[in-house]
Amino acid sequence: MFAGPAFHPSSEAQPPIAPPCVIDESDFGELYSDNLRLLVAIAVRKFQVPEVDAEALAHEVFLSYLKRKNEIRDLNPWLIGAICHASRYFWRQRGHRTDQLDQEKAVLRPDPASAEIFDVLPSQLAVREILELLPQRYQEILRLRYFEGYSIREIADYLGVTAKYAQKLVGKCLRLAEETFNARARNKR
Amino acid sequence: MKHSDDLRHIADCAECRERFTANVLPFDSARRRERANEFAATAAQLQRERHGAADVVTNELRDTPIDDWPRLAESPALRNNAALEQLSEEVRKRLERNPAEALAIANVATSIAESISGYPPMVIAQLRATALRDRANALRYLGRLDEAFDSIETAEARLSDFAGAAHDRAIVWLIKAMILAQMDLFAEAEEMITAASVVFADVNDPPRFLQAGLVYGNLLGRQKRYAEAQNVFRDLLKVAISSRDVETQARLHNNLGHCAVYVDDYSGANIHFSESIARFTDLGLRAEVPRTHLGAAQVLIGKGQIESGLSRLEDARRSFLDLNLFREAGLCALRIIEVHIDRGETARASDLARVVIGEFEAAGIDTRAVQAIENLESSINADGATGETVRTVHEFVQRLAAEEAQAS
Repeated sequence: MFAGPAFHPSSEAQPPIAPPCVIDESDFGELYSDNLRLLVAIAVRKFQVPEVDAEALAHEVFLSYLKRKNEIRDLNPWLIGAICHASRYFWRQRGHRTDQLDQEKAVLRPDPASAEIFDVLPSQLAVREILELLPQRYQEILRLRYFEGYSIREIADYLGVTAKYAQKLVGKCLRLAEETFNARARNKR
Repeated sequence: MKHSDDLRHIADCAECRERFTANVLPFDSARRRERANEFAATAAQLQRERHGAADVVTNELRDTPIDDWPRLAESPALRNNAALEQLSEEVRKRLERNPAEALAIANVATSIAESISGYPPMVIAQLRATALRDRANALRYLGRLDEAFDSIETAEARLSDFAGAAHDRAIVWLIKAMILAQMDLFAEAEEMITAASVVFADVNDPPRFLQAGLVYGNLLGRQKRYAEAQNVFRDLLKVAISSRDVETQARLHNNLGHCAVYVDDYSGANIHFSESIARFTDLGLRAEVPRTHLGAAQVLIGKGQIESGLSRLEDARRSFLDLNLFREAGLCALRIIEVHIDRGETARASDLARVVIGEFEAAGIDTRAVQAIENLESSINADGATGETVRTVHEFVQRLAAEEAQAS
């Protein structure tokens, strides 16, 4: 007989089922600051994305939201879904597998990054805690020097001071960090 | 309440959210401020442009002869995000009705997007990917599949440097899957559609999740994997019901009806077709009703269920007549005539042909179509008509309709 159309296709671009969440222009800054920490935390804690990259990923997610905002029904699940996929894509682009490692293989071949985790992690956590207690400017100088690998000359350029003064500042920040650490240790005892 | 680090829980629980984010250090506060400012400035810019661009595209398209549309790419009024969004909407509206025009508009949008500046790189990538994706879709509708594939690959490449563009990328994958399916590259299409569905589910985009599911089910149907397709459509039906998407429910019932026919469950098929028609009727989508009847009839007759098929054809014809769609009603009648001829009921075939001639003349349909059916009637009366003759006339009338649509 004759061949008929098989199935009913969906219409090309369907409107959102529920109205999108409406956000006032003045609220955009608030939206960013309210959610940035969460997105960065997800990328870092759930996907082990380095913190510097995690912030960049979160920023991309926010920007991509602006184009899609009229069709987003529920902001929080959208942001969370988007940062999870962004984190997976981040690792895929770097040739990492994002699947869970087979448990037996994991035992036989431990991840070198976590081999001495129990020795290293407490110090890392302590450093972070101490850093948080320092004034903003000191935090920034130590972060540039020890987390981002800036040279003294580069820090000097960044702060608009001489290299000699930058060297002094880094030393001063370190001393303050040490004092804070010791004071905290004494208090704990 | 049970608290956890489960992300779905964190999305809604302020307490767990606070705990989860507690140790995230503000790493580079200057850079963070810079980014926040960029976000707010871009948001304000896009809002401003959207408010200031009411109907700019409709007006430009209306006031410019179609042959001059490529020049619109130079129009300053169209070189912004809001105009590109409107161009995308114009493409969407024309895809079914006039894909050639949709392509012309998509080409304008692509020219603009590929040379636009003044936005963050991420937004520019989204603009380019959207324009290229629309272009690929229009080419797909025109059956220019190799070009469509090139365009969708370019769209994907535009986003490749941006991990944060997951939602945009998934929409590109959805169109890519449709193109691959049309190229009969089923395995590749399946992989693409699965990846896209995961993203749509994760970002809570039920309309596109359902759309992707429909594409996936159709893909299975085209490979004659009807039982699997049935499972997909049944699962989707639950999603469509929970999200109160009645139109998709109607389409899914129709597809489930087709699957049921192919697995020889004719009573199940009739229930699904009737459910589909009831929902289209409730929604006021009256033109979908005869189309659903027609599709059902064709598949039933194809499987040798002549009586049920014929009954659906008659329902379809009646619905088309109710809508004053005389050409479509006539095409339905030609299907019925074919059945009559196959069963040797020439008198009924001839009577129906005479009725159609009257309807076509009264509706002022192309005289060549009327002439073709008159010739068919003579042939039936002379006992010379076969099913093949009717099919030839059907194709001819359909081609005239397509030419007419093209010309208008």
